[in-house]
Amino acid sequence: MRIVIAEDAAIMRDGLTQTLTRRGHDVVAAVGDAEALRKAIAEHQPDVAIVDVRMPPSHTDEGLRAAKAIHQDFPKVGVLVFSQYIEAHAASELFASAPTGVGYLLKDRVADVSEFIDALTRVAQGGTVLDPEVVRQLLGAGRRRDTLAALTPREKEVLSLIAQGRSNVAIAAALFISPKVVEKHVANIFDKLGLAPSDTDNRRVIAAIKYLES
Amino acid sequence: MTAYPERVLQQAYAWMRGHPRAADGMLGLLLFAAGVGQLPTPEPLSTARGVAVNLLLAATVTVRRQIPVAAFCGAAIVVSFQLAFGLGSGSVPGMAPGVTDFAIVILLYTLAAYRARRTSVAGLVVCLLGAVVAIARYAPLHGPNAGVILLLSIAAVGVTLLAAWVLGDSAAYRKTYYVSLEQRLAAAERTSDLEAKRARAVDESAARLRRIERDLHDGAQVRLAALAMALGEIKENLAQADTDPDTLKLLGGAHQNAKDTLTELRDLARGIHPPVLDRGLGEALAMLAETSAIPVALTVDIAERPSPAIEAIAYFCTAELLANAAKHSGARNIQVSVQDSGSAPLALAVTDDGAGGARVAPRGGLAGLLERVQTVDGQLTVDSPPGGPTTITIELPRHA
Repeated sequence: MRIVIAEDAAIMRDGLTQTLTRRGHDVVAAVGDAEALRKAIAEHQPDVAIVDVRMPPSHTDEGLRAAKAIHQDFPKVGVLVFSQYIEAHAASELFASAPTGVGYLLKDRVADVSEFIDALTRVAQGGTVLDPEVVRQLLGAGRRRDTLAALTPREKEVLSLIAQGRSNVAIAAALFISPKVVEKHVANIFDKLGLAPSDTDNRRVIAAIKYLES
Repeated sequence: MTAYPERVLQQAYAWMRGHPRAADGMLGLLLFAAGVGQLPTPEPLSTARGVAVNLLLAATVTVRRQIPVAAFCGAAIVVSFQLAFGLGSGSVPGMAPGVTDFAIVILLYTLAAYRARRTSVAGLVVCLLGAVVAIARYAPLHGPNAGVILLLSIAAVGVTLLAAWVLGDSAAYRKTYYVSLEQRLAAAERTSDLEAKRARAVDESAARLRRIERDLHDGAQVRLAALAMALGEIKENLAQADTDPDTLKLLGGAHQNAKDTLTELRDLARGIHPPVLDRGLGEALAMLAETSAIPVALTVDIAERPSPAIEAIAYFCTAELLANAAKHSGARNIQVSVQDSGSAPLALAVTDDGAGGARVAPRGGLAGLLERVQTVDGQLTVDSPPGGPTTITIELPRHA
């Protein structure tokens, strides 16, 4: 993969660059702020960009805004936003503006290198990746109860894994059930959420967004 | 510019205020001179007596402000001697009362102005009794116009003494009034000074907490994440190579430790200062509402951002109230509203349709909130009848 990294902490930027390079990826640019990120994206048009949420100058949500801008200008570039904190509404905002090729992960996830690179690959290929922490927060939140009340606990589990961008096979492995059973659950979920049968991937994304925004 | 004579007078008054003993000395000297000038007899012995009496009276006036009671008593004794021996047939020459006896009036005034009212009233009574004796001995009791002269004497002496007492007493009253006024002013200044200092302390502590969170974010958290990433990579590399299982296990433990510490550090940093607060109270409350276990309807109407310390207090209070409602109330719905018109205090209200019966108990959650709110002179009111609903209203100043 050709990767651009935007992260203001040098130690993390260098660490990521080295790790990804050792795993055979091409880090074409590693920058420290949103402005430099914009230039790097325009220049290199990478497969995916890793973008820290808090960057200079204001250290608030530069990364989120940059991610939305990248999606508008370069829809083919996947963006993995990563952050020290998980904010559910930031996630739903991000996914609403760019339902494909987007990810939102806690910075901690870099600790599990292979999983992190898998997630990055999914985003680069146009998939969605959502941190389990977002899912945990949202499942604890009350207002989802009404909208998702129709789903069984198992279906909710499956939906949360869909929202994390997992494939049916991966979901089956995670829940120790057969892919056939997963397919049945997914069909039930689509049905209960009122999603007409069309392009499956698209329905998955819509379900994930519904899940986030409900 | 004040007119010339007025300026001179002001300077004279100022000098007199600055040099009370010298001013009193001059007053004494003046009385003494007038009294001695009035002495009628050229005979040496009686002149000496007259000079001595005048000197004593002038002396009491000179020390009137240092020892008002003693000076008054001294003057009263001298005047008594004058009344006893200086009047009527067989009087001692040189002892007759004269203009210097005005000293007793000055001393009565001084007593009223500088000593307790009880003392000065006693002085007034002594003076009035003395006056009765003097008039009885001096005024002609027979002859034409005797009655009129008597009445006029009584009126003149009585009014003079009363006037001296009243003037002195009102001077004392004014003095205590000014003193209390100054004390009140000093207290008010101190209060506003303390308020300003407290506001600075509250703001500084909010800024410090924010800085600590940022330092953690930019420092320890990043380093730890990089460390965990390195450990993770080493672990994966070693797992692929043929490595001693104990070493792998050890490394796995270290890796897990680093990840757990990251989680703890993140929770800690968020408790110190939630970063979402940097984007405003509205967004921060929206996040709280989003993650609340009970559905929250949020209304935010903020014209202008209050100070960061106030935003932080409002945020932590809301978080605590939402957690309380989830734990104790059994509510199905919560309404959170924040209003800040920019001029009135910021008003935060959290209403739930739960069981009610919430109250501020010592060491309870609400008591903790109350303390937090009171650090900036805010108000917290609880309206929670048994059976609900519960409304907790918090008012905060826009600045600490």
